[in-house]
Amino acid sequence: MSTIIEFKNVVKEYQSGDHILKAMDNVNFTVDEGEFVVILGPSGAGKSTLLNLLGGLDSVTSGQIIVNDNHIDSFNDNQLTQYRAKNVGFIFQFYNLIPNLTAIENVELMKDIVDVKIDGLSVLDSVGLKDHANQFPAQLSGGEQQRVSIARAVAKQPTMLLCDEPTGALDSKTGVLILNLLQSMSNNQNTTVIIVTHNAILAEAADKVIRIKNGQIESITINDNPKKVTDLEW
Amino acid sequence: MLARKMLRDISKHKAQFISIFLMAFLGVFVFAGVGGESVGLEVNVNDYYDETNLADGWIYSNYINDLFLYQVDVLGATTDMERQLVVDSVGDFKNDPDITLHFVENNTISKFYLIEGEKLDINDENGVWLDKSFADAKGLKVGDNISFEFADYEITKTIRGLGYSPEYVYHASSSSVIPDFDKIGFAYMSYKAFPEDTVPYNVLNVKFEGNPETYSELLDYHMGGYYNSFVEKSQHVSVNQFSEEMAQHEMMGDIFPVVFILIAMLILLTTMRRIITHQRTQIGILKASGFKNHSIILHYVSYGFWLVLIGAILGLILGPMTLPQLFYPSMSATYKLPSWNPAWSMNFVYVAALMVIMSLAVSYYSVKNISNEKPADTIRPKTPKVSTSGFVEKLSIWKRLSFNARWNWRDAKRNKSRALMTIIGVIGCSALLVCAFGMYDGMNDLKEWEYSDINHYDSKLVVDDNASVSQIDNVADNVDGDKIMESSIEIESDNAKKSGSLLVVNDTDLITPTDYDRNHVEIKDDEVSISQKMADMLGVKVGDNVKWHIMGSDKWVTTKIDKIHADPISQGFIMSQDKLEDLDLNYTTTSIITSQHVDKEYDGVKVTNSMKDMTSSWDEMTESMWLLIYILIFFAALLAIVVLYNLGLLSFTEIEREIATLKVLGFKTSALRKLLLTQNLWFTAIGFILGLPVGYIILDIMWASSGDSFYILPSITLTNFLLTAVITFALSIFVNLMFSRKIKRLDMVESLKSGE
Repeated sequence: MSTIIEFKNVVKEYQSGDHILKAMDNVNFTVDEGEFVVILGPSGAGKSTLLNLLGGLDSVTSGQIIVNDNHIDSFNDNQLTQYRAKNVGFIFQFYNLIPNLTAIENVELMKDIVDVKIDGLSVLDSVGLKDHANQFPAQLSGGEQQRVSIARAVAKQPTMLLCDEPTGALDSKTGVLILNLLQSMSNNQNTTVIIVTHNAILAEAADKVIRIKNGQIESITINDNPKKVTDLEW
Repeated sequence: MLARKMLRDISKHKAQFISIFLMAFLGVFVFAGVGGESVGLEVNVNDYYDETNLADGWIYSNYINDLFLYQVDVLGATTDMERQLVVDSVGDFKNDPDITLHFVENNTISKFYLIEGEKLDINDENGVWLDKSFADAKGLKVGDNISFEFADYEITKTIRGLGYSPEYVYHASSSSVIPDFDKIGFAYMSYKAFPEDTVPYNVLNVKFEGNPETYSELLDYHMGGYYNSFVEKSQHVSVNQFSEEMAQHEMMGDIFPVVFILIAMLILLTTMRRIITHQRTQIGILKASGFKNHSIILHYVSYGFWLVLIGAILGLILGPMTLPQLFYPSMSATYKLPSWNPAWSMNFVYVAALMVIMSLAVSYYSVKNISNEKPADTIRPKTPKVSTSGFVEKLSIWKRLSFNARWNWRDAKRNKSRALMTIIGVIGCSALLVCAFGMYDGMNDLKEWEYSDINHYDSKLVVDDNASVSQIDNVADNVDGDKIMESSIEIESDNAKKSGSLLVVNDTDLITPTDYDRNHVEIKDDEVSISQKMADMLGVKVGDNVKWHIMGSDKWVTTKIDKIHADPISQGFIMSQDKLEDLDLNYTTTSIITSQHVDKEYDGVKVTNSMKDMTSSWDEMTESMWLLIYILIFFAALLAIVVLYNLGLLSFTEIEREIATLKVLGFKTSALRKLLLTQNLWFTAIGFILGLPVGYIILDIMWASSGDSFYILPSITLTNFLLTAVITFALSIFVNLMFSRKIKRLDMVESLKSGE
């Protein structure tokens, strides 16, 4: 398996008034293609910073981030927008669907930004929502909305799925459903999935677990035999 | 602590609160400013008339002796009267200026208003009190001597004082609308200064009780035949001219500011309601933490209150202080008033108060609604309105629409009130612009029509009152000109009685009567044509009979109307000399018009005006009108910016999260900008289209109230129509550009954090 993401000595500092806050302090790790990665850490550890940097929402203070052989740390705003459009499929805690568009329209919306043929109905079918294609987000349950948001993310065939507490707003039963969907995408379709969470139980299901604390990598564990999400004890 | 929250809220949402302040300020500023100008005129002139005790009426007679005075007195209604001799004289200067001399008996009515020098002394045989404007034009000072020639007399007097007179607020020669103080003036003297012992008084100034019509009838009944004419105050040339000017200012000062303040108020109120609705969760938190309802209400109500209050008060003070000062200088060149001060009217205060109270009420009800809910409900954001698929979505075309179009359609559908407000804002602004440009075009069109289409002579020689027929014929031959007669008349139909003008022409091609579309209206020798506006005012049509008489004569004649022509500034009859004489009325040449440019002076000619003189007088007369138009355009544009920006900002806050999501997903800033621009342009287009008829209606009302003598129909040239469109859309795009920076700076991470 080939490495598709690499963090090299990544430092991120925030200027806050007079003093400098180090949110990311010399972080190094790699992610291979098709890996199911879980990034764990208490709140304030730097999870979000990591996600923002990887997702192209923010830029590093120093160090390198290499995705698909591209040094995204040196990208300008326009390149970052392009990068986000082509490489990153975001899944948010609060789904962030466009309320004015139906489920299928939310998925097919991606046609406007990437040059990929998208059959909205079949993508929705793959997340089990074919029957809800013409409903608006407000008419769907939380789990259904999150599935639409996954459909939207995978529709553009990104390099990675970047999930920020994807089950944070869902009950545990629905949460397992969503995580199972993500895991099976990683296993069956060789999609790289990166999940940021504070829920340590998920670690057993991951191919790779990256633990961070105070902006630094605490440990990187590789599970040779990850459990299935549905087998975890919640 | 809540006060601190308020200050922080305000500073955080600066733009929104600044626009609240600006709308309150601008609304009241323009309303009170334009209003203060016309109210100021009225107050100034009325104070002046009161202070100088302007006569209520003037009786012209050649027999004003003691018996005459006695008879006027026993009418009962007369409260005060005073005789004077008013004569036209020629001042001893190179250009032979016309000076009207008033020999007064004691000058208690229509008093001379002294500006410098001594008070008018009725026992002073050698003193004269002179028109200050004339004195300034001639460089005369108190103490100088001045000579006048009239009838067989030549008198020289010493200037004792300079000043104004309430009878000469407006003073221009019969030949030009614009006063030229180098050529015209007036002077007051004691009756003792008259060269003879007996003064042949010819004017009786009267003050009376009751209405002028009754007085006039009473006078006619008891003394008919003993006097030539009676002029009541409102018909007096100066009084009438100034009140027409005031009426023009008033009509503009009424309609425009009202429209303006209505738009400002509407947008202000919606903004306040929205700001409070946005604070919904915070209200819930405050309630949950145990704040009493009334302190929460007080907190949110005071949000906008102070800003609106300060804005309204500043507008109330600054409006009348500044805007009138833009108009008065050009007006004071034409009209002579001792003071030009803007005035405040209680109406301004009422309107400002209404604005403050309404904004209070709107904030109150918005908070009240929210705080009446259970805190548990309030603390959660309002469930978003569910979009539904309407018939548009069912159309096959929907599938082919871009995301941009679909998104905007649904967004507008989901936020109907926001859409409506934006459209109404644009309607208001484009209506004001259409109105302003329509006035601009109307004024230009009027000038073109009157001074080029209808009248196309080069010079007009105004005949001296005493000129003999042979002198007139001689001049006419010399300049190869055509003789015309112009006179004031009064026309009466079954429905109304109106004063107007009479034009008698002798087969001239230098004056071409036209209809409204500028087509030549041919009036045959035996025909009488009435102007369209006069026909409308009298409620008559071709074939009807009307009664009329020439002013100063009480011989009424009845005439059938044969034709209707249209004229922008003079309403009345046009007929031939033959027709006039057929009606048994006397023809007197009053002017000679010619296509030649005349510089030479002729005997029997009082003054020569070229077409250029007349158009430039017209330009000067209308200067304040132009100024108002520019101010209209400026404020309409400013209001448009504030309204569009404010509504744009509101909607931007509301869809910030969606925009952030789209940005994270990889939409380019340019695509997002286009997204917002599309909606803006749709609303602008709708508002603009609807604004056109609204502007047209306002314009129609304005022209209709511009006075009896003007005939202008609302219209706008293609160029200015396009200019209105360009300005409206340019403003809309300009405001949109301000948001593109916001999109660029939008913090994607932050906007996504908060949950729904």
